[in-house]
Amino acid sequence: MRQPYLVQTESDVKSVQGVSNVALADIENLDHDDVAFWLIDMALWQDGWKTICQIRRHLSPRVYLKPVVFLIHDSDMPKEIHQAADGHITASSIDVRVLEDWVSRVEHINQWVEHIANNDAPVDTNLAFKVLRLISSRAVELQPITTIRRSSGYVYPLLEPLFGKRDTGVMETLSFLHDQHLLNARHISKGHFCSHCGSAFLNFKESCTQCDSDDISANELLHHFKCAYTAEISEFKQGDQLQCPKCERELRHIGVDYDKPSMIYHCNQCSHSFQDPKIMTECYNCGRSSEPEHQQLRVIQAYSVSAIGQNAAEYGLEALFTNLLEKKLNLFSVNAFRDFFNIEASRIKRYGVSASTLVMINFDDLDQLYIRLGSKAQEVFSELSVIFKTVLRKSDVITAWNESIFFVIMTETNEAQAHRAVERLRDGVMALFKNNLDFAPKFTVSINTIDETMDLDKTLEAFMENHVD
Amino acid sequence: MWIESIIEFVQGLSTGQILAYFWPFFLLDMTRYMLLDFIVIVFYMPKKYFKRREYALARKQLYKERPLVSVIVPGKNEGKHIPRLAESFNSQTYKNIELIIVDDGSDDDTATICRELERQGKIDCFIRNEVRGGKASAANTALKYSSGKYIVHIDADSHLAYDAIETILIPFFQDATIGAVGGDVRVANADKTFATRLQSIEYIKSISTGRTVSSELGILRIIAGAHGAFRRDVLDRLYGWDIGPGLDGDITLKIRKLGYKVVHEPMAICYTNVPVTFRRLSKQRFRWDRSMIRFRVRKHRDILLPSAEFSFSNFVASFENIFFNLVLDFKWWIYFVQIVIWNPEVLEYIFVINYVLYFLANVVEYSLACILLHNSLRRRDYLHYLFLPLIPLYTGLYLRIVRTYAYIMELLHGASYNDKWNPWKVSRVAKREKL
Repeated sequence: MRQPYLVQTESDVKSVQGVSNVALADIENLDHDDVAFWLIDMALWQDGWKTICQIRRHLSPRVYLKPVVFLIHDSDMPKEIHQAADGHITASSIDVRVLEDWVSRVEHINQWVEHIANNDAPVDTNLAFKVLRLISSRAVELQPITTIRRSSGYVYPLLEPLFGKRDTGVMETLSFLHDQHLLNARHISKGHFCSHCGSAFLNFKESCTQCDSDDISANELLHHFKCAYTAEISEFKQGDQLQCPKCERELRHIGVDYDKPSMIYHCNQCSHSFQDPKIMTECYNCGRSSEPEHQQLRVIQAYSVSAIGQNAAEYGLEALFTNLLEKKLNLFSVNAFRDFFNIEASRIKRYGVSASTLVMINFDDLDQLYIRLGSKAQEVFSELSVIFKTVLRKSDVITAWNESIFFVIMTETNEAQAHRAVERLRDGVMALFKNNLDFAPKFTVSINTIDETMDLDKTLEAFMENHVD
Repeated sequence: MWIESIIEFVQGLSTGQILAYFWPFFLLDMTRYMLLDFIVIVFYMPKKYFKRREYALARKQLYKERPLVSVIVPGKNEGKHIPRLAESFNSQTYKNIELIIVDDGSDDDTATICRELERQGKIDCFIRNEVRGGKASAANTALKYSSGKYIVHIDADSHLAYDAIETILIPFFQDATIGAVGGDVRVANADKTFATRLQSIEYIKSISTGRTVSSELGILRIIAGAHGAFRRDVLDRLYGWDIGPGLDGDITLKIRKLGYKVVHEPMAICYTNVPVTFRRLSKQRFRWDRSMIRFRVRKHRDILLPSAEFSFSNFVASFENIFFNLVLDFKWWIYFVQIVIWNPEVLEYIFVINYVLYFLANVVEYSLACILLHNSLRRRDYLHYLFLPLIPLYTGLYLRIVRTYAYIMELLHGASYNDKWNPWKVSRVAKREKL
């Protein structure tokens, strides 16, 4: 049976009854199959935080993927730190039974780590890959929580020790993994972030439409029915009562004697009066002011690992089709692809003697393929990339939008020729999958002749809208 | 044969019979509306000519001082008219203008249109009152947020001639005791329907000429809401407008009561859209005519009574209005009964002769207007001569019936308190307070 290890730092030598100690520097040398979880004493939570950061930033999956449990002494600990571990045990309640309980609760993680350790290289150097594995190993949805300790306003506690203060990197990494179809996303919230520094701490201020000053005051308008006098409520106030300055009648009942038809803002700087104040945002972090529409509107999402992601987490990113394809063909970035497209469109316009085509390919249900292929994925996709290489020519420009969508510029190829090439590709794919599985993936293709009027982005968007779920 | 018998009938009439048969025309209408107008205009035109230097000096003073003029436009569901109105201020000769629009609880896209115009800088201030309070409260809201030394009140469905602001302001620089100046209101949609054409003739006669004459006599009793300029300090003393309908006539009397002069400037022209059907016209006039009873007979009856603040010109202004509109309106029914009872055998002759007399009077009055306004009239205005034969029917019969009905309903039932022109909550208070 696995057992917990209390991780000791140089400055903090403590012991817990029934738990073996291990120095932080020595955790690499342990027999990791014997480790149930790393127990970190959070008596000084700042020190404990450093310890978990060092564990999570370790390159060996046997170390950084191991469950971490905090030993809590008091509750005076930020919630994002509290939730960074896989669990916690209070110091007052710790005993053998509790420890055994935790050993069994994290056993599924240990089994997953053992499984991948058998397939894999000894170290993980790619941060995105480490993120993928960490989420995948926990088999939970990665939930963001709000915090005032990070300028981004949201943190994913499990990932915090991996990134530390580079908090914007978390969002970017998750977004990248999502774009690659390795993670599924679920909408949690939406928020404005500073377009300069990414801070979520924006002060939304009502400002003067004329001079932008936020030194404005709001006043209710009051309409006295009897004499039609209409002015700001301050003009009517006589101590606790309301009295009309025009007819000197006391205003008693709203709706009977008077009403409040609207609200007026008054700028104390330039004396301008207006009804719709200008909304401005000021970043608490960098101090820059901007209109809300010029700030970055981000969607905050919860993430879970997709089938492709699960496969990649277990067998490595090298097993992904795009990686394999990149080895066989020269895969360009989407931006470089755009440049090639523009050059090709200009060239065709200038000479007008030949045609080139834009081919868009989408593999349907790629998730299912990864699930079905499992460990065979790398082998099958490697062969698939050979088919791509056979059909496409060196002069063709190919980019992967993500794991399942590919765009190709087939130079000096008209639509009919492109159709023939795509048919060859289809036949090859069918034959390959027939030999490996009892079904072949479906893929949808769109072929368009490139001309100067074609808007690449709109064309790609239209394709994805029509063919991608 | 029939015409010969009419001529024979006329030739056989003695002076006494002429007066007995046609007293309303000869003793009242011809004297008041034709002879008096003629005499006043005959004096007004040379006076204007001889005062041209004084006028030029006043104009120079206006441009030297260059006061801010606030143009206020209260209204409900008038969004469609506002872009054209706002445009018309770009071409004004006088430039120091701020345009303030108050939306009195519109339920159409007025707010969207006006906010966009405000964003483009074509409107200086747009205020939307979410809760409708009536035109007076909207005008008072606009007044509250205006900064001009002079306030020009115009209706949203109107637009101004290129020099209207300049022209309406000059009288203030000619006479410091002037508190308000009425602008001329002409019909913008005269060619639209038969009803609008008749109203165009009526406006030229009664507003352009009639108010110029009243102004010259010092008894002008109304500054039209469609186009009127006010000194800000005067409006501030009055705390703005009171509840309508008829708030324009009401505030004019209040300004007069403060001791300020009120004049009409026929060359400060505003074009307004008038009702295109007789049905809508009837509704409009029903509302206007009731306000005569409500304001002049009830609210401002103190003008007619001796008091420390008694002013003869104010008395005449009010009395003339009540006498010629209210009292003499009923004289027609007396006259009709008189003819039917005592002279039924000559009823048709009297009708025809009256019609001809009133037609000729209209020709004279319209010609006077053409002489007075010749520089500012459009070609189509001269074509109105063709419609003059119908004016006795329009004013003498149609408008008279509407007016009589309005007077009776207001006198007996206080119908104006139930008018939907004001929100019910305001009307309820007005009725309770007998305003």
